[in-house]
Amino acid sequence: MKQPALSIDDLRDVVAALPNNGLAPSREAALAHLHEHGLPTLGDEDWKYTDLSPLIDISNRWLSEGAREQPSELQSDAVEAITSSIDASWLVICNGIIDDRFMDTTTDGGIEVSRFSDAPSPFVRQRPLADLNAALLRDGLRVRVKGTVKKPLGILVFDRAFAGAGVAQSCVEVDVAPGCSAEVIEYQASDGDEDHYANSVLSLAIGEGANVKHVRIQNRSIRHVQTGRTSIALGRDAVLRMSSYDLGGRLIRNDIDIDLSETGADVAFDGLYLAGDGQHIDNHTRVDHRVGPATSSQEYRGILNGNCRCVWNGKAIVHKDADGTDASQENHNLLLSDDAEIDAKPELEIYAEDVKCSHGTTVGQLDETALFYLRSRGLDKQHATQVLTHAFAADLVLRSPVLAVREAVTGIVESRLAELIEADFAADLLS
Amino acid sequence: MTMLEINDLKSRIDDTEILRGLSLTVNAGEVHAIMGPNGSGKSTLAQVIAGHEDYEVTNGTVAYNGQDLLELEPEERAREGIFLGFQYPVEIPGVNNAYLLKAAVNAKRKHQGLGEVDAFEFLKLAREKMTTLGMDPKFLNRGVNEGFSGGEKKRNEILQMAMLEPSLAILDETDSGLDIDALKAVAEGVNALRSPERAIILVTHYQRLLDYIRPDYVHVLSQGRIVRSGDKSLALELEERGYDWVREAANG
Repeated sequence: MKQPALSIDDLRDVVAALPNNGLAPSREAALAHLHEHGLPTLGDEDWKYTDLSPLIDISNRWLSEGAREQPSELQSDAVEAITSSIDASWLVICNGIIDDRFMDTTTDGGIEVSRFSDAPSPFVRQRPLADLNAALLRDGLRVRVKGTVKKPLGILVFDRAFAGAGVAQSCVEVDVAPGCSAEVIEYQASDGDEDHYANSVLSLAIGEGANVKHVRIQNRSIRHVQTGRTSIALGRDAVLRMSSYDLGGRLIRNDIDIDLSETGADVAFDGLYLAGDGQHIDNHTRVDHRVGPATSSQEYRGILNGNCRCVWNGKAIVHKDADGTDASQENHNLLLSDDAEIDAKPELEIYAEDVKCSHGTTVGQLDETALFYLRSRGLDKQHATQVLTHAFAADLVLRSPVLAVREAVTGIVESRLAELIEADFAADLLS
Repeated sequence: MTMLEINDLKSRIDDTEILRGLSLTVNAGEVHAIMGPNGSGKSTLAQVIAGHEDYEVTNGTVAYNGQDLLELEPEERAREGIFLGFQYPVEIPGVNNAYLLKAAVNAKRKHQGLGEVDAFEFLKLAREKMTTLGMDPKFLNRGVNEGFSGGEKKRNEILQMAMLEPSLAILDETDSGLDIDALKAVAEGVNALRSPERAIILVTHYQRLLDYIRPDYVHVLSQGRIVRSGDKSLALELEERGYDWVREAANG
C-alpha cells in the first residue's frame, strides 16, 4: 500500500491562519522545505521499519476539517494528576498551546523562561517532521538554566482528543549555562477517544562543564501517535545522564541526536520500551563523535507482548578527528509472544584510528533456567514470569537519573507491565 | 517411614536416555549420598525429582510421602517440602535476595494454610542464618546470586534451604568449587537441618563433603543405574580405587 501524501495545500491554508506572532518566516521556510522534500517513506533507510501513513492520515483529516482546535478547557484533571505527583517546576503545553498558568516557573531564580514570540528569530530545521513542527508551531518555549535550580524542570506535553482528529506541535529549547547542573523531565501523555498525532521537538544545549540529568517519559493513550526529535549538544567536559521510558502510543517514533563536538564530554543514556497489541515503537538514536576523547554509552531494553513491533536503531559515528572515542551500544529484548517483532540495528561508522567501540544485541524469551529456578523455590509460573519480566525492566527503572520521578516511573512501568503479562496469561488460557 | 520411593525410573533429555531403570528408597531421618562419574545421571536424578521439564520420564514411578511426585508441578513439589540446591545457582539481576526468600517462604506458608511471615521477624531470622553461614547480611539486598563468587552462590543455596526448612533436600554438587571454610559452613548448614523428620540426598563427585556430613548410605550411579550401595566406607573405597572398578563390577 502506497503511503498517502500530506495535503500541502490544506497545510498552507492552516499555516496562513496561525497567530501572527513573528514566527511566520520560520513557518514559511519550513513549508518550502517540506514542499520540496515531502515526508519520509519506507524507501528511506532511516524510516524503513516505520510507516508514517497513520500520522499522515490523521494530519490530512485534521487539515481538511480546518485544523479544528480541541475544546479550550485546559483545566484538566489528567494534567493536574501528573504535575502534582512529581515535584518539579512544570511547564505545560496542552494541545499545542502553552498553558499560561504554569509560566510562573520563573520564580525559581535559576531558570529563565520565554516564548519564541517574545523575541522571534527565524530558524530552519531541514528535517521533514521537524519542518512540519516548525510550520504548524503556534509558539515555542525557551528555557535558560543559568544558576542553581531547586527543583527539576518539568516539561509536560499533554494532548486531549475528544472532538475529531487532533494534531498538536510542541517545541522547547533548553539551554544549560556552563558549569550549571540541571534535571530535566519531559513527560508526554494524552487521553481522548479520537485519533491524535503529536509532534515534538526538544533541543538541549549543555554548556561547558555542565551536568544534566534528563528523563523522558512517554505514556500516551494506546490510540495516539507521536513523533519526536530530541537534539542534544554537549560542550567541553559536559556530562549527560538520560533515561527514556516508552510505555504507550499506537505509533511512536523517537529520534535522539547527540552531538559531541567538544572534548571530554561524557554521555550515558538508556531506554525502556514496553509494547503490547497494536503498538509500534521506534527508537532511533544517533551519536556524532566529532572530537575525542569523549564517551558515549547507551543501553535500550524492550519487553514485547502480543501483536506489536518495536525498532531500535542505534548509530554511532566516529568522525575522522575523534581519536580517543569510547562508544558502546547495547539493546536487549524480551519477546513474550510469537506475534511480537523487533528490528534491532546497531550501526557503527568509524573514521578515526584510536577508538574503543562495542555493540551487542539480544532477542529472546525469558530464561528457562531462571524460570525453573524460581519455580523450584515455590513460585508459580505466573509469579515467576512476572518476577523475571519485572527484573528485566527494574534494572533500567533504578537507573533513572532524576530521583524525583523514580517513584512515578516505577508506578507506571509496573502497571503497564502487569497489563502486558496478564494479557499473556489470558492468551495461554485461550490457546 | 518411607519418604521417597523411586522405582525403575527411566528418563531422557532430547533423544538421550540418561536414567535407565533407577530405584532408590529414602526414609525420613536418613542422609543418602549419590556418587558416580561424570555423566552417570546424578544431576539428572536431582532435576527429575525437582520437576525440570526438559527431562522426560519414560518409565517408572516416584512416590513422595505416598503421592505421585511426577504429577506435580515444580512449584508444587517445592511447597510440599522438596528443595533442590542447584549445582549452578542462577543469577537473576533485578530481583533481590530478600524478595525471593520471602516469596518462597510465603508460597510454602500459603500452601500450608498459614499467613504471610512477619517481614521484620523474617529479616531478623535471615540475618541470623546468614551470620551462621558466614554470609554478609548485605547480600540480602543484592540481586539473586548477581556477581556472587562460586562459594557465595552455594552458601546462598544453603541459606534458602535453611529458611525453607524442607522435608527432603537434594543438594546437587553443593561441594564443588568450595574452599575448606565454605565447605565447613555449608556442611554446618546441612547438619543443622538433620532431623528424624527430614531426609537429605547429597549428590557429589568426591567423598570430601562426606567427612563433614556423615551419610547413612552411599550409592554409586553408573550409566543411569545404581550399581552399588553401601555405607560410608564405600565412599572411601571409591576415593581409593576410582570409579572404573565399580563400572567393571557392574558390567561384569
